[in-house]
Amino acid sequence: MRPFTAPYEDVWGPRRARIIAGVLALIFAVIVGRSAHVAFNGPDRSALPVAKAEIARRGDIIDRKGELLATTVQGKSLAVDPSAIWDSRDVVAGIRSVFPDLGQDALTALMADKKRQFAWVRRELTDEQVKALKETGVEGLLFVDEPQRVYPNGKLAGHFLGYTSIDGDGLEGAERVYNDQLKKGGGPLQLTLDASVQFVVEEELQAAYADFDMKGAVGIVVDVSTGAVRAVASWPAADPRRRGDESDAAKTNRALNSRMELGSIYKPLTVAAALESGVLKPTDMFDTSKPVRIGAVTVRDPHPLPHPASVSVTDILAYSSNVGAADIAQRMGPVAQKTFLAKVGLLGGQPAVGPQWASPLLPPQWDATAMATIAYGHGLSVSPMAFVMTYLPFANGGEYLLPSFVEPVDPAKVARKRVMSAQTAAMVLDMMRVTVLEGSGKNAEARGYEVAGKTGTAEKPGPNGYDPDRNITSFAAVFPASRPQYVVLVVLDEAQPRTGAQRTASFTAATIAGKVIARAASLLDVRPVLEAMATRAPTSGADAVAKVGAQ
Amino acid sequence: MNRLAIIGGLVVAALAVAVYRAKLGAEDTQARIEDLKTQVADEEKAIAGLRADEAVLTRPERIGGIAQQQLGLAPANPNQYTAAEALKQRLGEERTRLPAPGQPPATLAPSPDPVTPQR
Repeated sequence: MRPFTAPYEDVWGPRRARIIAGVLALIFAVIVGRSAHVAFNGPDRSALPVAKAEIARRGDIIDRKGELLATTVQGKSLAVDPSAIWDSRDVVAGIRSVFPDLGQDALTALMADKKRQFAWVRRELTDEQVKALKETGVEGLLFVDEPQRVYPNGKLAGHFLGYTSIDGDGLEGAERVYNDQLKKGGGPLQLTLDASVQFVVEEELQAAYADFDMKGAVGIVVDVSTGAVRAVASWPAADPRRRGDESDAAKTNRALNSRMELGSIYKPLTVAAALESGVLKPTDMFDTSKPVRIGAVTVRDPHPLPHPASVSVTDILAYSSNVGAADIAQRMGPVAQKTFLAKVGLLGGQPAVGPQWASPLLPPQWDATAMATIAYGHGLSVSPMAFVMTYLPFANGGEYLLPSFVEPVDPAKVARKRVMSAQTAAMVLDMMRVTVLEGSGKNAEARGYEVAGKTGTAEKPGPNGYDPDRNITSFAAVFPASRPQYVVLVVLDEAQPRTGAQRTASFTAATIAGKVIARAASLLDVRPVLEAMATRAPTSGADAVAKVGAQ
Repeated sequence: MNRLAIIGGLVVAALAVAVYRAKLGAEDTQARIEDLKTQVADEEKAIAGLRADEAVLTRPERIGGIAQQQLGLAPANPNQYTAAEALKQRLGEERTRLPAPGQPPATLAPSPDPVTPQR
């Protein structure tokens, strides 16, 4: 035993103390370091789900004047948490009291799946449905906030706008074509459409149904200086809110996706092609008194002209002579005809971006027979969208433009292709003005707006050849003729006047086109031609020829 | 030396507290920013809803009917336009029909001019 006075000398003491102190200091440093790290590096708030949800808001679609056509609003959808539901009978009954279309068995099975904590019941509820569901007071209902695509103008431009899936992906129309841009959010997508003009066109097509029993209709309005499409309507209208759950007739966008033989509205193209190729002079006279046989077809005029043995080029348009048009085509031959129609975009070719339209259905052989029938609009099926653009050169001095659907449209940057001389364009335009003043297009005249245009009546092809009981009637117009600003195309599918009147374009499509122009002109800032209102100079075909011949 | 160490330690501690308070302040500010962003998003949603409501209320088929039935308005008619040169004459005609000072207003006769503005 060691004596008390000689204390034990713990040689390890200081060293142990240092080690313990060092360990404690290290632990302290770790704690302080970690605390500092936590204190100075908080959670990344940009990764929060709220922030992500804001980015996902789909862009609006507006018209050229800023009117809202499609937008995304915050809505509510109904879901349930089956695992939290004790008495599913009450919940099923409560839900079915608001949505009787939901099957009881399916709902009961959904509630019975206790492993699930979330299941959709009905998306995109209305405010009334939310209120009614809350008033049921049943347990386990989840009201989930989520964006909803809405179309404030209902069916207006429904075909062109298209629609999205319930999850906000564009499936049809502009919603599909511009999906990437819309999904990015940001500024709205501004279309060239004018909601007011679109409304006028759609309302006139709807009103036409009161006058004509018809299967479908198309109305298009295009600015001749830029190709900006101000209205593109297809009847029956489609409701974007139904997401394609429509009849086949309403689903079809006839303006872009249908191909039709449009009849005699081709005749101005035939005349222009012949004038351009130098085989026709505006003063030439034709004998249309007898049918002519060209290739395998005998061409007749169903409605003989006033003086069929001696008709001018203007009369061929004004009174719509098939014989005369076929004669003119025969002069230039199929190659020149085909080349001209290709120049004005009727044989295909459209931009890779933006809305597309149906490609044409060409004759198997562009021979003499095809040439003769195409001269008056049979044998070549095209979409109304493709056709309406062929009238722009008549109105803008001879330049073909592609349609524009999105603003801004800078006239200086629009791609232009000269397809006829300004003189040819002016001559054919004057002939079309005579057609409205004195010929088959009289019903299209809109006082003060100098409508120039051409009627077209084409029997529809069937399994046994052309069917005389079913036809396509059309009217293509330019207005005002003295300073053209817009082209209008109206096409009616199997329009039969309910009054028993003739079902030719003179009594159907021309009338509708005139009403559209009369109402839409002021909305398009087209001032009436006051001189034309004060004195409407009597013009004959010969006068028009003399006038243009002097140009 | 000890005094220097103590002062240094106090300064470091004070700086640490200051930095920590600044961090807390930044977090508060960040939280406020997030709140404001949420508010902005909510307001934007509300505005989108109101714009949609406005678009529903001003859609052509609704507003056209109201303008026609309640205000007697109609789309502009070509007869309502007149040439600028004709305005001088029109104004002259209107002046001649105005009552002289102190005279009771006379009933204006309808204008024979076909370009009289119409409702």
